[in-house]
Order: sequence, then structure tokens, then C-alpha cells
Amino acid sequence: MHPVRHAVLVATAVFAGWLVVAAGGGRSVLRAEAENAAPVGMPTAVLAKDKAQAILGKPVTSTKGEAMGRIVDVIVDKAGTTRAAIIDFGGFLGVGSRQIAVDWAALHFSPAGQPERITLDLTRDQLKSAPQYEKGKPVVVLGASGHTQPLAAGEYPLDH
Amino acid sequence: MQAYGKLDSDVRHPPAPAPVSTPVHAPSRRSLRGLDGFNFFIANIQTGFGPFIAVYLTAQAWTQVDIGFVLTLSGIVALACQVPAGILVDTATHKRTLAALAAAAIALSALMLAAWPILPLVLGAEILHGVASCLMTPAIAAISLGLVASHEIGERLGRNARYASAGNGIAAVLMGACGRLISNRAVFVLTALLAVPALIALFQIRSREIDPIRARGGQPDTQAHHSPLHGIADNRGLLVFGAGMILFSLANTPMLPLVGAIMTMRSSQWATVLIAACIVVPQIFVAMLSPWIGRRSESWGRRPLLILGFAALPIRGVLYALIASPYLLVVVQILDGISAAVLGVMVPLIVADVTRGTGRYNAALGTVGTAAAIGASISTTLAGYLNDRLGSTVAFLSLAGVALLGVILLLLLMPETRPAER
Repeated sequence: MHPVRHAVLVATAVFAGWLVVAAGGGRSVLRAEAENAAPVGMPTAVLAKDKAQAILGKPVTSTKGEAMGRIVDVIVDKAGTTRAAIIDFGGFLGVGSRQIAVDWAALHFSPAGQPERITLDLTRDQLKSAPQYEKGKPVVVLGASGHTQPLAAGEYPLDH
Repeated sequence: MQAYGKLDSDVRHPPAPAPVSTPVHAPSRRSLRGLDGFNFFIANIQTGFGPFIAVYLTAQAWTQVDIGFVLTLSGIVALACQVPAGILVDTATHKRTLAALAAAAIALSALMLAAWPILPLVLGAEILHGVASCLMTPAIAAISLGLVASHEIGERLGRNARYASAGNGIAAVLMGACGRLISNRAVFVLTALLAVPALIALFQIRSREIDPIRARGGQPDTQAHHSPLHGIADNRGLLVFGAGMILFSLANTPMLPLVGAIMTMRSSQWATVLIAACIVVPQIFVAMLSPWIGRRSESWGRRPLLILGFAALPIRGVLYALIASPYLLVVVQILDGISAAVLGVMVPLIVADVTRGTGRYNAALGTVGTAAAIGASISTTLAGYLNDRLGSTVAFLSLAGVALLGVILLLLLMPETRPAER
């Protein structure tokens, strides 16, 4: 290989390596700052990985293991209590899916010690005919019994 | 009928400045097979984009607001880029290179989506994909036009539609299975990989067999300095056809999503399979019918076939409104296949007819594409509103009404555009 070209290649590789290190290092510095910033009078809680999970986009199954769609939103009332999860249900390649509000109480997180699993106490049959969730309208919630109930007046979730 | 400018090229052939403008030989079998394959694999690639993006991003913990923003943006790109892309394809000498760049760009955007689904990259990927797709449609049409003689173009466009719909149908099944069995991300990896056979097929087409003058619809008038859109805004056949396409896509676009939602509501176990069938069945019929439509367009003329394709849509809307059984709804999708087969051939063909001799073929094709995109962008909101407020029956009947307006418009105002026999 031509020596000049070789030198250029080496220099490029070194530069790329430096970029990676700098980017990674930068991130860890930021993280360290965030960790150091907290203690001064700021209470923090640490949630262990197997004790809590993020749920947006997570798949939901029935207790029998049927696919029931994914969680796309969470509905809270004025007190901040979670009332329902919006799940995106059905469809093929994005065609024909419906968004349905299901009672928060019908959802079970990490049942029987399965950390990442979310189950719903409903069947696909109960879910299919539930009214579609629409933003800005009263939320009709599908309860654990399979019956729908509108959130009572004055309890509408804050619109976003 | 002189207004359509077809006499210019048929009677007085455009002056041939260089030997490239008139290929001596008919296109080779290799080139024609290459074009078949390119249509097939590009349709494969395009299947993963569209509504599936929403499924993928949902699983990546995206909020519905962000997903809506991304989809709106890609709609705007599809709307805004078609005419400029058409003008670019008209101007470009190397149509094959342009098609190759567009295919590579679409593959790159699929890789970007698969590798790192964060907002700036996804927005970038969607813009890249939108622009590349706007180039792809006219590039394929231009290669077809440049490759075959003008009396064979109907049949050629029929073959294009056949291979494209076969590609769509097969890819829908393949990618549905891939999403379910492997992962949603794998769908985009597969999409990107399919660019390899697409490019291999494309480079089977011999570039020198593509007549650059014919590929843009003849030689533009170089005497006067016309704008790139000259011959489009004052072309009656094109304007009527464009208006018809707005009405058609306004009525057509929301029908499948509405039917899909109904399937999900009525059948719990089979909904997914039935929706898949609703997507695949029309593609099978397009693959079967398109070459026949291409041939018939030369003997019967364009007008009766175009009206047939438009007329299938209001019938489909009324049947959707009346039929309750989800299984019979799949059968009704045959009508979608008829419409899609007719339009798949007629859109590039009629635009070729009405722009012959102007040198503005691809710009005009972009204009018609924009008209369809306008209809599509209004329709989803409109149909969603009707469905929520008044129910699916009213929504389907309203869409059928809009489709019927399109049929009436064509019956009253659309001229026959087939060139006169030489």
C-alpha cells in the first residue's frame, strides 16, 4: 500500500476511535453529573429493574397467551390515579387496528414472576367489539368483566 | 383533439438530433426481463413502508403524537415532491442511474429505520424515502416508455403492473410473517436486503436501449422558452383526468382501512388473516388482469377501460355498506383488484397519450400523482370523521357517492386519448 494513503487511513481510524471514546466518555460524564447532582436535599428513589418497568409500546397478552396488542397510552383521572390503558389491537401490517381503552385493574404486570410480561383479564372476543378510543371524547373503558363503562362525569382525564 | 399534441409526434416525428433518439433494434429480451424484475422487487421494498411504520414505531415506545407527526410529514413529502421529481426525470439523460439511486435511497432509509428508531433519523428516513419514491414512479414509467415502441406501451405498462402487484402481494405475506415470527425490525432489514435483487434486475436493462427522447414524451419545443410545466396546465385531457384522480383517491384510500377496522370488530380469531386477504386478493387480480388491460387499451381505447375501473369503486362502496359477513367482504375486494389493474395501466398510459410530443411526460405524471395524493390526504380525515359520527354504513355510502361523481366526470368530459392509427 502507498505509504501516504496508509498514513491517511491510520489517521482516519485513530480519529474515528477518538470520536467513539469522546462520545462514550461524554455520556458517562453527564451521567456522573446527574448522579452527583441529586443528593443535595433532593429525595430520590431507586426502582430495581425487576420491580418496575416502562410500559409504552409493550405487548399485552391474554391470560391464555393470545396477543392482545400493545399499550400506546395511559389514562389518568384528576387525582392522578391510573384508570385505563389504551391498547392498539388487531390489524395486519398496520391496516385495520383499533385503539381500545381497558380498565387499569384488568391489567397485570409481571404475573407469576415473569418480569417483562403484561396480561389482560379479557379475551379477544370481548376486546374486538369494544368502542374505539378517541381523543377529546369521553373515554369508554372496557372493564375486567368485559362490560364497558364510561368514566363518570367530572372524571374525564386531562386532555393532552 | 389536436390539443393533446399527439399529432405532433405521430404525423411529424420530432426532429432527431442525434442517433441515440432512434434505437435501431427492438428492446432485447434481457432488458424487458430486467424491467419485470425491477418492478417486482421495488414493489417488495415499498410494502414495508406505509401503515406498517406506525406498528413498528409503536413497538419502539413511540407516542401516538410523534407517530402522527412522522406520517403527516411523509404525506407532505409525497404531495410536494412529485412534480419536481417528474421535472428532474424529464431532464435527466440517464434514467437507469436515477432509478438505481432512488432504489439505493429507499434501501438506506429502511436501514436507518431498522438501525436507530429515534425521531431525527426516522424523520430523515421518511423524507429520504418520500423523495426517492417520488422519483421511482416516473423513472420506471420513463424507462418503459423509452424502451418499447409507442404502440407497444400499453402492453408494457400492463406487464409493469403485473409484476408490481405480484411483488406487493408476496411481500405483504412475507413481511407479515417476518414481523410476527422474527421481529418488526427484521421487516426493515429484509426490505433493505431486497434492494440487491432490485438493482441486479435494473442493471439487466441495457441503458442504450432506452430512447431518452421517447422516455420524456418526445422533444420539447426549443424555439420558445417554456416553463417545465408548459403543456400541463392547459391540457384538457390531463386536467379532467387529474380531477377524476382526486375524486377516485378521495373515495378509494380510506376504504381498506375502514374495512380492516370492521374486520377487527367482527371476527376475533380470523381478523388478521382476513385483513391480509383483503390486501392480497386485489393484488392477485391486478397480476392476472393488467396485461390484458394493456392489450385491450390498444384495441378498445382507453376511455371504456378507464370508466370500467372508476365504476368498480362506487359499486364496491355500496357493497361494503350492505354486506355484514367478513368473508364476503374479502370477495368484494376483487372489485378493488379491477380498479387497481385499470388505474395501474391507465395512469402512465393516458398521461403518455396526452403529453406526446411535449417532452413533459414525467412532470405531467407527477402532476397526476399529486392530484391523487391530495385526494388521499383529505380522505382519511374525512372518512374517519364520517365513520365516528355517523357509522361505517354512511361512511361507505358517502365514499361511493364521491366515486360516482368521478365516474360522471369521466363520462361527460374525458376524451378518448388513444393516438390515431398511423
